[in-house]
Amino acid sequence: MTDRIERELELPSPSDEVWEALTDPERLAGWLADEVSFDLRPGGDASFRDGDTVRRGWVEEVSPPDRPAGVGRLAFWWASDDEPASRVELTLEPAPGGTRLRVVESRPLELLDAIGSPLFGSGSAWPGPQARSRALVASR
Amino acid sequence: MDATDQAGAVFGALSDPTRRRLLAAIAGRPTATATELASELPISRQAVIKHLSALADAGLLDRRRTGREVHYRVTPAPLSDAVSWMAEVGGQWDDRLAALKKGLQP
Repeated sequence: MTDRIERELELPSPSDEVWEALTDPERLAGWLADEVSFDLRPGGDASFRDGDTVRRGWVEEVSPPDRPAGVGRLAFWWASDDEPASRVELTLEPAPGGTRLRVVESRPLELLDAIGSPLFGSGSAWPGPQARSRALVASR
Repeated sequence: MDATDQAGAVFGALSDPTRRRLLAAIAGRPTATATELASELPISRQAVIKHLSALADAGLLDRRRTGREVHYRVTPAPLSDAVSWMAEVGGQWDDRLAALKKGLQP
């Protein structure tokens, strides 16, 4: 079973500016969490602090908006202590007057079970490189 | 009703501040009637009944008729794990995306 939420909104900015807001830690601090650090490459570490909540995670896909299509995608996994990990996918595409951003956050519980322990974000239990690449393969 | 529909119904029911206030008032006691609630809050009995129906339709309240009055009580566990995850995570994204949009306004 996969739990899933989806949101879509139009932003009055070109896709490369929206991409910057999605990937620049300073810009991310204005909306995603209080403090964000991203190692922006597939498999890179990520951490997110929001008030007292700390999420750890890793980056799955980094595809800046290409020209001329202007479609971009950022995908990462995150989890806070004791919570099953979830996958966040942010997709950009040009829209009249700006950019359409689609957000999908999903929690593929069966996939997480299949990958096996560790499912959770706490401490050293976060998946190492091997589990990450298994998750990458399985999520395709 | 699948999990997404249920989450939508719950969101809709809770989007109104008066309904949240009524739900909080009922949560503080075993059961409540529209007459009681209308006498305590600055809302007409008719409006209270309308709001209570919306909360009951979303699965947040149980209704039981006793004589002429309907007694309402908060449903112990109206939300499955999946629905509460969706409600929480969806609400977080609504807040985040509003902040993102505000930051990008020209």
